[in-house]
Amino acid sequence: MEHLNLLYPEFALGSLALGLLVSDLFVAPKHGRLLYHLAWIISIVTLCLIGFTISDGAHFQGVGTLWAVDPFSQFFKMLILLTTVLSLLMGLEYRELPSKHAGIFTSLLLMASAGMMFLVSSTDLLLTFIALELISISSFILTGFERRNPKSNEGALKYFLFGAFSSAIMAYGISLFYGATGSTRLLNVTQAPGPLMILGLLFILLGLGFKASIAPMHFWVPDAYEGAPTPVTAYLSVAPKIATIAALMRIFTLMLPASMLDLTSLFTLLAALTMTIGNFTAMFQTNVKRLLAYSSVAQAGYMLIGLVAAGTSGGDVRGIEGVLLYSFIYVAMNIGAFVVVQAVATEAAAAGAKDPYGLEAFNGLARRSFGLALALTFCLLSLAGIPPLAGFIGKLYIFESAVKTGHIGLAVVGLVNSVVSVYFYMRIAYHMFFKQADSAEPIALGPYLYGGLAVAIAGVIIFGIYPEPLIASVQSSAGFLP
Amino acid sequence: MLEHAYLIPLLPLTTSLIILLFFKEDSHSPAPYLGLAAMFWCFVQSVVIFYGAASGASALPYEANWTWFSFAADVAGKGFTVPMPIGILIDGPASVMLVVVTLVSFLVQLYSLGYMHGDPRFKRYYAFLSFFTASMLGLVVSSNLLVTFACWELVGVSSYLLIGFWFEKPGPAYASKKAFMTTKLGDCGLYLALLLIWAKFGTFNITAMTVSAAMPGYLSTAAATAIGLGILFGAAGKSAQWPLFIWLPDAMEGPTPVSALIHAATMVAAGIYLVGKTYFIFVHSDIAMGAVAWTGLVTALLTATMALVAYDIKRVLAFSTVSQLGFMMCALGCGGYTAGLFHLTTHAFFKALLFLGAGSVIHAVHTNDMRQMGGLAKKMPFTFATMFIGTLAISGIPPFAGYYSKDMILEKVYAYNHVMFYLLTFAALLTAFYMFRMVFLTFVGDDRDHEKHHHAHESPWVMLGPLVLLAFLSFVSGFGLEHGGLFERLVNFKLPEGLVPETEAPAHLGLYVTGLVVASIMLSWRLYGRNDFRLAESLKSRFSILFSVLENRYGMDALFLGLVAFCDRVAKFAFWFDSSVIDQFFVDSWGLVTTLLAELSALVDNIFVDRTVDGFGGLSMDAGVLLRSLVTHGQAQEYLMYIAVAVSLFTILILSR
Repeated sequence: MEHLNLLYPEFALGSLALGLLVSDLFVAPKHGRLLYHLAWIISIVTLCLIGFTISDGAHFQGVGTLWAVDPFSQFFKMLILLTTVLSLLMGLEYRELPSKHAGIFTSLLLMASAGMMFLVSSTDLLLTFIALELISISSFILTGFERRNPKSNEGALKYFLFGAFSSAIMAYGISLFYGATGSTRLLNVTQAPGPLMILGLLFILLGLGFKASIAPMHFWVPDAYEGAPTPVTAYLSVAPKIATIAALMRIFTLMLPASMLDLTSLFTLLAALTMTIGNFTAMFQTNVKRLLAYSSVAQAGYMLIGLVAAGTSGGDVRGIEGVLLYSFIYVAMNIGAFVVVQAVATEAAAAGAKDPYGLEAFNGLARRSFGLALALTFCLLSLAGIPPLAGFIGKLYIFESAVKTGHIGLAVVGLVNSVVSVYFYMRIAYHMFFKQADSAEPIALGPYLYGGLAVAIAGVIIFGIYPEPLIASVQSSAGFLP
Repeated sequence: MLEHAYLIPLLPLTTSLIILLFFKEDSHSPAPYLGLAAMFWCFVQSVVIFYGAASGASALPYEANWTWFSFAADVAGKGFTVPMPIGILIDGPASVMLVVVTLVSFLVQLYSLGYMHGDPRFKRYYAFLSFFTASMLGLVVSSNLLVTFACWELVGVSSYLLIGFWFEKPGPAYASKKAFMTTKLGDCGLYLALLLIWAKFGTFNITAMTVSAAMPGYLSTAAATAIGLGILFGAAGKSAQWPLFIWLPDAMEGPTPVSALIHAATMVAAGIYLVGKTYFIFVHSDIAMGAVAWTGLVTALLTATMALVAYDIKRVLAFSTVSQLGFMMCALGCGGYTAGLFHLTTHAFFKALLFLGAGSVIHAVHTNDMRQMGGLAKKMPFTFATMFIGTLAISGIPPFAGYYSKDMILEKVYAYNHVMFYLLTFAALLTAFYMFRMVFLTFVGDDRDHEKHHHAHESPWVMLGPLVLLAFLSFVSGFGLEHGGLFERLVNFKLPEGLVPETEAPAHLGLYVTGLVVASIMLSWRLYGRNDFRLAESLKSRFSILFSVLENRYGMDALFLGLVAFCDRVAKFAFWFDSSVIDQFFVDSWGLVTTLLAELSALVDNIFVDRTVDGFGGLSMDAGVLLRSLVTHGQAQEYLMYIAVAVSLFTILILSR
């Protein structure tokens, strides 16, 4: 085990998560919020630990037996931890959560994050698989955490079935790969890819695609997202997705470059399929959680465009940068949207609405809480890629890299999809601004939701108007080892 | 202080947003005090900067830039990154303008405490005032022409909002629209000039542009002419120069303090200031310079004559403002850079004073019509005294401020062109005439409306204080700034050789002109000062045609309204053409043809195709039923099967390459 010390933030996070699990035994359920606070503080501490590793590359970065710690992986780890913190803040304000098994919940969430951190650093299929399982199994339980809610149970079960299926496919792929190369290592693969190896890689790709909700592996998304508690939905729609996209990028564009194995056409197909299916299905949703679920499928498609651009032979570093940039912005805008959705749905549920997540719950929100309506509109416009918000910068960067590498058709498909997406994003805005509200009560927004929303909206607006610092940090984070 | 100059525009901006978003509409709201405090701070900072520059303690120009954004560009196959720096640039003119704008804005806000007292939209008014001041200060200090343009548009918006402040009345609503659209017309020219500047210089940074333009042969005469004329057109819109001056008299529908701030001292001077800021382009083109000079002259003359027959006290001042702006424009065109900006400074003080004084009068008698005033000097001694000082200043009587600046302008114009000099001197005489006419009609003689006169009273001290301070400045600013060549040292532009003929103006030119001005005042006294208007009336009836031409503003309004009506008609015709000709004839007839074709096709379809389709439909229905019996309603399984199918398809796709 060479350079195990490089992974010390992951170990710190994992052991503290185990500590939380144990401490659940000693903390009374009514003090469950304490553990949430502990958990997000742990995440921030880990975030800082990773921050320190960036400053001193010579000591804290390098290649180990099964892992590589480099600016690229550290960027994604920080994003994952940021998402974790924001989701935990949302959890503090979610009525069903803090009083029930807080230790288990927080520990599972941190475990999943630790799994993602392993995933983005992994250079060996064995570690990739184990990290993926760590994420998946934690997520299954988190999805079904509202035990008395049948939808939550249904979502968890479906999620589990699909997870098992895709794990099987992936394990099969890994075994084929092992058969072809005699190792599970992805570093320094020297064999010319034969049919066996290609088939193995295809299965591995589909196994990863399950977590990133790439079509056709996306069927579980709407049910699981709808059923899961909203903070978990926010978490699942962001963290595993960007972590898996990062892993895909590490495997398919860096360790197995296009000069060795050209999968560009397959990735192009997957990107186009994912965007189109996500956006066109989202158009007919009347439940905001489902709508955002399909939208997150589409967003994964946009990120895949960057992957295509980066993977083209003689590829462009801008593709990699585009994916990093888009992931960062995606965290801000998606979490921001879910924060507002949670606040509105909590109020609607208290008022006895039949479907607290239905579009009707948003009727007249602008009259009730103008700031909240404006914040959600900003997030949605950013998701649709309207300037001057951050989402526009992300899309611009990605589409530009696609055009630069000659994937003009894909860029056009992406643009058409963006146009389509405006329709369903603006449907929510339509309900907020032009429909009559049932009550004139302003929506109560707890302090933690408020803080999370403020961070997200600040990101969406500031990086839309002044993207230079973000672009600069992304450019310095696009470095790979080996 | 200099390194924190960015605070000067940002502070009022923040203030306005705070007032707008967080304050409640309430007659006792503390909003004005916040605005005043912010403006006072800006004023102090500006004075410190100005003092540092005047005493030579700090070296101007001072510039600080930040990169706003940068973008990649390809030029002739070479790719590089173009940065867009924004920042502040404080040179001599800017340091003077900062003091003028912050001082006048502060005084106007103070004055408005009294004037706008009890208005139902008190807080909103102060938010707009702060917003306007922020935009204006941004325009003054920006080092990037693009930002200057943005601020230029923002002052336009503020002006629109403030002219139409009492938007429930039809007059202000109409006037605000007219002002906005007329200045927009001018902005088209400025916009084109900006495009040309980008094409020519590749930067909007003023310092960089100055350096490039100074290189011999960099800026061709044709390019300089095109850019200069575009800027001039924009400046003509904003500074109400011929032919776009039509909006300013109507803009007097806004609250009077607003007229003092925006339409006398600051915003309308922005056009002059912009021409000054881009002077290094103008000097490369004789045509552009000539255009500036003649535009200014024509404006000065035309509007001075219009002011002769106006009876609305604010209209007289508005015409006078336009006329004085014409003086400045003319000076700039004649190579009198220092003179033009000097007049801009002194004019800001005495014209703000005159407007605020007029506001005080209107506050007292509740009318704008001078025919219903008269004899107010006894009732309002302070207002009368301060306005009288302002009138002396604008007429150019030594030692008041206007004398120094107007004298400087006339000397420059004399050196440039004799004909222009005589015409401009004539305009100066007219100025003295109509300004004293205004004072006589308002303050001297008998009261013509006893009711109004009886109720008139002196304004409160919160309004008089600014008047007194401005009167003091109107008295000393001319001498103070000219003394020891202070202004010339701060604000100067080294003209290239041979641009302006070096003719020495005759000695005592100023004294001759002053003599003529005094004569003109005597004439005014004869006609309007002695309670005896018979001579004026007889003149009016004898030259009734001339009077009606003047009252109709030379038909310029009618011309522009005709232009608007013409555009309206063209648009209506185009709409008619579109809906009646294109839609009816082309689209609908094409539709008819397609309908016929469709019916034919439907016939074929029904007979041949449908039956085939039905057959297939039945087949696929049967197949569907068959598949359904295979795949039950359990959704998860169904989905998993889709995945399996997709996986197989991908496998085939990859392996069969």
